[in-house]
Amino acid sequence: MGLWQLLMRLPRYLGASGPPRRPWWSPSFGNISSVGSWRGQPSKSPAHWNQVVSEAEKIVGYPTSFMSLRCLLSDELSNIAMQVRKLVGTQHPLLTTARGFVQDTRNNLQLRGLVVLLISKAAGPSSVNDSCQNYDMVSGIYSCQRSLAEITELIHTALLVHRGIVNLNELQSSDGPLKDMHFGNKIAILSGDFLLANACNGLALLQNTKVVELLASALMDLVQGVYHENSTSAKENDITNDIGISAWKERAFLSHGALLAKSCQAAMELANHDAEVQDMAFQYGKHMAMSHKINSDLQPFIKEKTNDSMSFNLNSAPVVLHQEFLGRDLWIKQIGEAQEKGRLDYAKLRETIKAGKGVTSAIDLCRYHGNKALEALESFPPSEARSALENIVFAVTRFS
Amino acid sequence: MASCWWRWRRGCSWRPAARSPGPGPSGRAGPCGSRLLAAARAQISYFNLVKSLTAAFPNMYSISRLYHATSATCCYSKTRSGGKHTDPFKLGRRDLKGLYEDIRKELLISAAELKEMSEYYFDGKGKAFRPIIVVLMARACNIHYNNSRDVQASQRSIALIAEMIHTASLVHDDVIDDASSRRGKRTVNKIWGEKKAVLAGDLILSAASIALARIGNTTVISILTQVIEDLVRGEFLQLGSKENENERFAHYLEKTFKKTASLIANSCKAVSVLGCPDPVVHEIAYQYGKNVGIAFQLIDDVLDFTSCSDQMGKPTSADLKLGLATGPVLFACRQFPEMNAMIMRRFSLPGDVDRARQYVLQSDGVQQTTYLAQQYCHKAIREISKLRPSRERDALIQLSEIVLTRDK
Repeated sequence: MGLWQLLMRLPRYLGASGPPRRPWWSPSFGNISSVGSWRGQPSKSPAHWNQVVSEAEKIVGYPTSFMSLRCLLSDELSNIAMQVRKLVGTQHPLLTTARGFVQDTRNNLQLRGLVVLLISKAAGPSSVNDSCQNYDMVSGIYSCQRSLAEITELIHTALLVHRGIVNLNELQSSDGPLKDMHFGNKIAILSGDFLLANACNGLALLQNTKVVELLASALMDLVQGVYHENSTSAKENDITNDIGISAWKERAFLSHGALLAKSCQAAMELANHDAEVQDMAFQYGKHMAMSHKINSDLQPFIKEKTNDSMSFNLNSAPVVLHQEFLGRDLWIKQIGEAQEKGRLDYAKLRETIKAGKGVTSAIDLCRYHGNKALEALESFPPSEARSALENIVFAVTRFS
Repeated sequence: MASCWWRWRRGCSWRPAARSPGPGPSGRAGPCGSRLLAAARAQISYFNLVKSLTAAFPNMYSISRLYHATSATCCYSKTRSGGKHTDPFKLGRRDLKGLYEDIRKELLISAAELKEMSEYYFDGKGKAFRPIIVVLMARACNIHYNNSRDVQASQRSIALIAEMIHTASLVHDDVIDDASSRRGKRTVNKIWGEKKAVLAGDLILSAASIALARIGNTTVISILTQVIEDLVRGEFLQLGSKENENERFAHYLEKTFKKTASLIANSCKAVSVLGCPDPVVHEIAYQYGKNVGIAFQLIDDVLDFTSCSDQMGKPTSADLKLGLATGPVLFACRQFPEMNAMIMRRFSLPGDVDRARQYVLQSDGVQQTTYLAQQYCHKAIREISKLRPSRERDALIQLSEIVLTRDK
């Protein structure tokens, strides 16, 4: 169960009584799902993906460590849960984030944490590692590696929450009262900071300065990645920044790859594996995350049943590649042709893009990163954990 | 101002008054009758306060007892006359040359706008109060331990990190409070919007964590991680208010510790750990920082009522406008119980802020809070006086006095 899922259930555990008796995320509280395409929605061919993940979860024993529990018992968390309830009925995106965690079990899986645990298990104990630590190994994973997996999820979640802050001076009247939005911002900052503080605390407990440095720099990367994501998605009317695929890759690494790559590396460091093994783990994390990201960028273009009016990110991999093949001028012309009464007709633009080379080369790029990830895995001894990591790659690189 | 209150305090020694609320102490007649009455009332409320303080800080009772028992020959005046007059800011700045350049070097950011936002407050115009305490403490500890005349690079890094953590929390606080000016400048959130401001705060925090990790000492990492946790917890404490008066005061002091003093206390402790292996010294450094930090914030809360906005670089009565009842309000409430309702509704009705401000200025709230700040400073001075004498130690003593008398 995800941290947020626990969080949202907390008031009931505590016997809290408040006006909204039924769970506030229950669907009757309005239709939010149309609001957000701001979060990357990885939607694989469901059966296969779920199967891969649930098998992987079995391999690592139990998915979460006790950190969620410790978090759960703190006063602050119950405070957050109470405060979030006050946001019900407002338009603040924090609600969407929270709802996403609770409703969408497929996204709720802690993919980053799971990968950290799998790669820990795939690497096993190091040969230089004296056996003194082996007693706290469960299912072939050290307890410090389990904490690390949890920290990775905490950082990811914190930034997801901070992503949902709104700019007060850009509010429309449809957003509801300013007071509500300000309150929502306040709670979003506090809950994100709370998760970050817990991550820092967990890191300090690991007693390894290199791991602290790795994860702190992953946080720095992630923040920069989110910044780029925001600055490109905020201005709908600007269409796109003229970024080439190499700049796109850099940004995708910051926003999607860095945390996983550095966490995988840190997991090796915790087990005293040498620099070479650490690098392979880093490479797996990086390339797997990249192909995962490209896969989710591709979904609007390859799903058979697409909601026609569904918008897509104009800075997603297929679009950026399409633009690169086409040249800036032709692309702007195509966008102009897809304008309908001052609004962008996404269905039309999608067909235009599908007719170009952007989609197929994005698929190629996805497979390229997938192969790189598989290559990195070859240096690990064969095991069911390694197979699970391979299967994750197969799942995100399969397009049929 | 400090000396003025010093006289006032001596004019009404507390112990006899608490035992028999009859006539004032013999020998020193009060300035006038009404003044005495007010003083007597203040003493009673002070008694209550001490009780509530004991709840918050178990060791506080013994401190104040000790303090009163020795009030006639207080170490405060002794050290002041004995210590050489050193300007702590001048002394501290010697080790802080290039502080802000170095901080900017830690902020390795490719996106120009993001870099500009993160560097916005590191413009060299801040007081650098925290870095100065940190380097002075580092030198004081080093001299105490082995008469070393150097500051280690890692100790100087703590000064940078302390300032960075502080700034990161300011950026987030300003979004939370929807503040529009700080240090005479517009806030990050007003210039760039809330969305980016939050990221700037996160970025500064991550840069601080990287610098912290590079020091390579796990104990120091744990010490400063505590600060990050306290800052968040302090912010949570600020969300709620307590109905019970005594609880409210304990709540206020706990919040003050977590939001302000913890950073100073723990960064002092961190440099002492880096400079000296003796846990006794670590505790001295921590206690000094904690007490100076609480005094600093209490005076900050006073200045919110007594200072004008030009001096502070931020609007005054800001706390009331945010619905926060700080020290002066809590003391005033003992004299004017009608303020209770306002506190509970967080000064949300029209006119509440002005009325509360008037009540506070009519009451002894400002004086009482200043007095309480003095207590914390005395404690800080007593702690730091346990270190071997040095210019830096005396500067720290001096600094705690400056904390009390500052007007901005």
